[in-house]
Amino acid sequence: MTVRIEINGRVYEGEVEPRTLLSDFIRHRAGLTGTHVGCEHGVCGACTVQLDGEPMRSCLMLAVQADGLSVRTVEDLAGPGGELSPLQQAFTDHHALQCGFCTAGFLMTADALLRRRRAEPIGEAEIREELAGNLCRCTGYEGIVAAVRAAAAH
Amino acid sequence: MTGGGLIGASLPRREDARVLRGETRYIDDVVLPQMAHAAFVRSPHAHATITSIAVPDDAEGLLAVVTAADLGETVRAFPLMEPDGVQVDHAHAHPVLADGEVRYAGQPVAAVIARTRALAEDAVELIEVTYAERPAVLAPRDSGVVLTRWSRNAGDVAAAFAAAAHVVSGSYALPRLIAAPMEARGCVAAYEPADDTLTVWCSAQDIHRPLAQLSHILDRPPPRIRLIVPDVGGAFGSKGVVAPEVAAVAAIARRLGIAVKWTEDRLENLVGASQGRGIEGDLELALDAGGRMLGLRARLWADLGGYLLTTTPIPPHTAGTLITGVYDIPAAQVTVIGALTHKVPTGPYRGAGRPDAAYMIEALVDEAARRTGIDPVALRRRNLIRRFPHRTPTGLEYDSGDYERCLDLALELAGTADSDGERGDGADVVRGRGIALYVERAGGGWESADIELRPGGTFAISSSSSPHGQGHDITFAQIAADRLGVTVQDIELRFGDSATSPPGVGTFGSRSVAMAGSAIAVAADDLLAQARARTGTTTIDWPALAGEWTAGGEEAAGGDETAGGGEAAGGGEAAGAAATSEPPTLRASARFGSANVFSSGAYVATVRIDRGTGELTVERLIAVDDAGTLINPLLVHGQVIGGAVQALGECLTEEAVYDDGGQPRTGSFLDYSLLTAAEVPLIVTGEVQTPSPLNPLGAKGAGEGGAVGTLPAVANAVTDALGGRHVTPPFTAEKLWRALHDEPADGGP
Repeated sequence: MTVRIEINGRVYEGEVEPRTLLSDFIRHRAGLTGTHVGCEHGVCGACTVQLDGEPMRSCLMLAVQADGLSVRTVEDLAGPGGELSPLQQAFTDHHALQCGFCTAGFLMTADALLRRRRAEPIGEAEIREELAGNLCRCTGYEGIVAAVRAAAAH
Repeated sequence: MTGGGLIGASLPRREDARVLRGETRYIDDVVLPQMAHAAFVRSPHAHATITSIAVPDDAEGLLAVVTAADLGETVRAFPLMEPDGVQVDHAHAHPVLADGEVRYAGQPVAAVIARTRALAEDAVELIEVTYAERPAVLAPRDSGVVLTRWSRNAGDVAAAFAAAAHVVSGSYALPRLIAAPMEARGCVAAYEPADDTLTVWCSAQDIHRPLAQLSHILDRPPPRIRLIVPDVGGAFGSKGVVAPEVAAVAAIARRLGIAVKWTEDRLENLVGASQGRGIEGDLELALDAGGRMLGLRARLWADLGGYLLTTTPIPPHTAGTLITGVYDIPAAQVTVIGALTHKVPTGPYRGAGRPDAAYMIEALVDEAARRTGIDPVALRRRNLIRRFPHRTPTGLEYDSGDYERCLDLALELAGTADSDGERGDGADVVRGRGIALYVERAGGGWESADIELRPGGTFAISSSSSPHGQGHDITFAQIAADRLGVTVQDIELRFGDSATSPPGVGTFGSRSVAMAGSAIAVAADDLLAQARARTGTTTIDWPALAGEWTAGGEEAAGGDETAGGGEAAGGGEAAGAAATSEPPTLRASARFGSANVFSSGAYVATVRIDRGTGELTVERLIAVDDAGTLINPLLVHGQVIGGAVQALGECLTEEAVYDDGGQPRTGSFLDYSLLTAAEVPLIVTGEVQTPSPLNPLGAKGAGEGGAVGTLPAVANAVTDALGGRHVTPPFTAEKLWRALHDEPADGGP
């Protein structure tokens, strides 16, 4: 089947098998390997991307379902010269990543949260609830929560 | 910051920006031209004889189906480690592919190689394997087949028990756990006939151990295998041994002369990767009337699985040697039996025997406090080891520590020095508080480092240790810059390629700073001494020195600096040196080895249990760790919190469950539940720094303390809340409700 998916402002068009996951399309067809596949059953959230601005697990979606839609991945967060966004900078400042495999998913979830709640303060308990769909095995979440709090106050 | 202020500086990691931009390369991101893909036919039975394997003549994209018969004599079973004094049954070494028999559900039986992963998985469905099922043994005490055995008898144990005023006993168990790194395992193997080299990219903790394992399995000397470790998405002990699947893929790549990739999926990882813990023990402690510990008897059974992997013998031995904990117990009789069960093999998982020992001895000490009526803190104080080095009856030598200071600080942070403080049972909840101390074996063995002065006056360091999230890069840069009197920006670290790495052992057991960090310190000191000898000055102008050597014939790697250096050297005082047979640049190599160092800590947990539902809430965790001198407290804090939260998962939810027939029941992240950000309690940390006398940094290790101290503290708090009734982790609502309502525990595992 032919799909046409916009990723980070660039259009990727081509034939895919109907069973091709969106995560595999992003990684192997578009070559955007910053999105990681952790469980392929929708629990860990490592593969989270934004679909028309909303965080979405790209392993739970077929590429053909994303036909005509707009996808945003971790590669789109930094500035044109590679400068880190305030959220990304907060992640390094607060040691919010160790092995880094889950990081892109947390960033895409948190980025969507910060956009949605731009004008309002976000408390720690709410941040923890919002991030509860993403698993991290390294950090114990402390640094990630601190980073999102810092970015929310930015 | 330059030299002097760098030890103890919380500098952020330098790899973060690359990771945050998505510019990483994990194993599935390694792509070679014309690369084929592997998928595996796996045993559906816990124990069976293979009676036939039927392979289809053809299938779309199918390149090869490989069984143990096809590999034949070209591969050997896994090499096995033999910790000091451990008897190991080498006849039970894990085979690459199942040979006539399967001993756990999920065991690889045949490798299917196809043009894509999807086609390989399609072809797996076409392989017909018939089995004759056999009975499965699941409990180590029922096994009757001993794979490893270790025993130690020191001091007069019989006299200690004969003289005892109190003998306190306890039986304890820990379930199997799954390391579950967010990136599962995998490899890419490619054979190059022109130079007879097999290159293996592997998601591994380090390069040297997988290289040694593959070298043995493939009977191929290390120079003919190149091992590259790219970015690694976590390991926690589970990537210290290559997967049998990796060995199969490497053998097949060599055999077919092609590049082959295997990317493990989550189901494969949850059922097929080596698991952790799975140990139980019967302990007896003899005390005099004043509560002084006289002797300990311990008999441990480890659930090792159907075969031994390289590192399988290690954790039970570590548990046995640490079973006397932080206490000065003069006599001990310890036996550790590693038994065959029909499950996937166990191996190191964060703590790797250390939490096991701390859990058992700390539960027993609390039991002794209840039985003797002595306050649990007072009982601990009465028996703490206070003089170092301390030789334990189990044969370890603790290098240094200040256990009482850890305990005092933990109690201070907990808000009261009275162990009976915050009991607040109510109509709806019961509360408990638990204290636990731990000591853990860290460091030991050896590592090495090469350091070189580069054009422009910067330094390149190759370390034999490689990272998988810990932050080796900035930590090692801090160590080197501190010794050389330069900035961390002047230091570049290189890791993870056996073609360029100095020799070494690996990244495990909280050892990287103490061993690989010390090797870097020694190499840097050597380089500095060489520079001082050459220049006759104490303070070195490194760019000028580099410029002189550059002029002496070093390759033009430094651009402008190289040209400028040439001019400087023409009239400089080192021109004479460059004209002699001196090396063209300054280099130093060091190998550093030492005995084990011992980190320690004190943890306090407060919990509440809902009387109506049995639900456990950890209200607060106090974590005090002594990891010796800290190089980068920011990263150490990350290790402590990360380890503590893994252990909280062990307390609350995590357990690898098997049914009565040996079928794994925890094959997804819905069944094997990791804690989320919303479930983590307040964790308050504190530090004690007792430098180790065994290395130039005074470093011990911080990678495992959080995972070691948390489990016994929470377990003791739960027992306290239950009025002394002991329950086996994880502390699920059902178990706790039954304990509160005096119902027998479920018959399950």
